[in-house]
Amino acid sequence: MAVVDEPVLRLSGVGKHYGGVRALSGVDLEIAQGECVALVGDNGAGKSTLVRILSGAHQPSEGTIAFAGRPVRFRSPADALEAGIATTYQDLALAPHLTIAQNIYMGGELLLRPHFLGLLDKARMRREARGYLDRFGFAVNDLDRPVSDLSGGQQQAVALARALRWQARVVIMDEPTAALGVGETRMVLDLIRALGAQKVTVILVSHDMDDVVAVTQRIIVLKRGRKVGEVVTARVSPSTLAHTIMTGEIPPEASAA
Amino acid sequence: MRPLVARFGTALAACAVFAFFALTADGFLAPYNLLGIAKQISHIAILAIGFSLALTAAELDLSFANIASLAAVACGMLVHTHHSPVLAVAAGLGLGLAGGLLNGAVVTLLKVPSLIATLAVAAIANGLAFLLTGGVSVVGRWPTSFTAIGRGVWLGVPMPVWWMALVALAALWFLKQTRTGFRLVCTGEATQAAALAGVKVKHMKLLGLALSGLCAGLAAVILTASLSSAAPNMASDMLLTAIAAVMLGMTMFEPGTPNIPGTLVGALTIGMLANGLVLLGAPYYVQDIVLGLIIIASVATSASVLTRAAFAV
Ligand SMILES: Nc1ncnc2c1ncn2[C@@H]1O[C@H](COP(=O)(O)OP(=O)(O)OP(=O)(O)O)[C@@H](O)[C@H]1O
Ligand SMILES: [Mg+2]
Repeated sequence: MAVVDEPVLRLSGVGKHYGGVRALSGVDLEIAQGECVALVGDNGAGKSTLVRILSGAHQPSEGTIAFAGRPVRFRSPADALEAGIATTYQDLALAPHLTIAQNIYMGGELLLRPHFLGLLDKARMRREARGYLDRFGFAVNDLDRPVSDLSGGQQQAVALARALRWQARVVIMDEPTAALGVGETRMVLDLIRALGAQKVTVILVSHDMDDVVAVTQRIIVLKRGRKVGEVVTARVSPSTLAHTIMTGEIPPEASAA
Repeated sequence: MRPLVARFGTALAACAVFAFFALTADGFLAPYNLLGIAKQISHIAILAIGFSLALTAAELDLSFANIASLAAVACGMLVHTHHSPVLAVAAGLGLGLAGGLLNGAVVTLLKVPSLIATLAVAAIANGLAFLLTGGVSVVGRWPTSFTAIGRGVWLGVPMPVWWMALVALAALWFLKQTRTGFRLVCTGEATQAAALAGVKVKHMKLLGLALSGLCAGLAAVILTASLSSAAPNMASDMLLTAIAAVMLGMTMFEPGTPNIPGTLVGALTIGMLANGLVLLGAPYYVQDIVLGLIIIASVATSASVLTRAAFAV
């Protein structure tokens, strides 16, 4: 993978401590537009901390982040979303009783003109929501169904459709397959591939090495809050990867940098 | 799709109540009696709509009845002392809104759960109402320009019924067609998800409680005008009635969610029950027993948002 363009995300020396607890230190990282990378590491390695920093939920204690070539400092998830970094959380962050269309547009509603009246353009939201779901090959007949009626994989599709609605250039997925069965997992992996095909960058956090090897191009390994190295996915198997995570030693023939 | 029975079961029960009294209670079906019921429930319905709006943002407002009493005595005293009716109405609405904003501020800024915060504000409002009046009612011959708000009739329909319809339509339109209304719903349905999506959930909770206060102020003005009097505890027994209407409403149309059509049908059902029971000669306190049972039965069958709101800290 030759990175020719300016990377969409560049982290330099990013660290975070919670009071006296050091959760992350000195992370340098570059991710290209349209790339799919995995973030792996043992429990407590700092994956969720890094995700929270990138998604605007937490602020880094030190270091800088550049997004699309510009230094950024997100004060809230809304900031990051606005900039084009969307995050799907493990517990999905959907409102179960609201409809598919309502979930996709929550917090980013489309309005009738003139906009200052604040009136919802429901017809357009429905139409465009269908379009986003189509891009994942998820044909819904009824956008007014509550999302609690959907399967876990379909709910992930709704969460990703929301990311597309924000025109996200980077989508972060924290353990998207953790609660899913085999068929559902396959569907989510297809969703991730579909995002890649649309030049959306995906950062996947997962404990499932098979999933990681199946969809990513590059794997970033964290251990005790530090980045220990990067692996080219094509050069590792799920079992060597599991070993790498435990020991924190990158096999030289698979190292990416 | 929710099963039809779940969505319309209670509405059918309301029809059954209607049919029962129509057949058994003499004079129930008379137009003046039906309009009388609609007029009687109008303040309750307006209070209940306010309570629904706060509950939509997953906050409980247990202060609306006392805030309404306070707004009523302030409004009544101004009319009584020959101030302009416009000023009196503004004072009633303003006090209601102020009470709601106080609730909202205590909940969002001081982080006191609404169950406790609004109970405390209710006590404050109650004390202020007695302080203002010295505990006695204000009664008088007031200008019709004021009393017409509650006693006027337009197209054969009493003004309070028009006010109720207006508030219900406005609330429904707000919730279904506006971005702010939708965000109020999102805040109650999934506070964390809404916040992650950029919704300012604290503002929404403040708004829900403020609107509940405003509705209390409006109900107070209408009530004061229709009775030509105001007392420091005049709305206190409406607390349970309005809450029962909302709880009953949450069992229909959009089960588990406070919703305006449900709240209206709930208020109407309770109004019919009260009226029919009186016509059948049942003693007054039977209504209280019925109300208590309605609340328990409704909450037991569908009260997700309510339970969340009540116990959220
Ligand atoms: N809010 C917090 N306050 C204090 N310490 C925290 C907090 N969040 C994380 N930590 C600590 O920071 C370190 C990294 O945690 P993090 O959650 O980022 O790991 P992780 O890689 O996501 O682990 P897991 O695989 O278990 O999810 C851990 O030692 C953790 O205890
Ligand atoms: Mg984690």
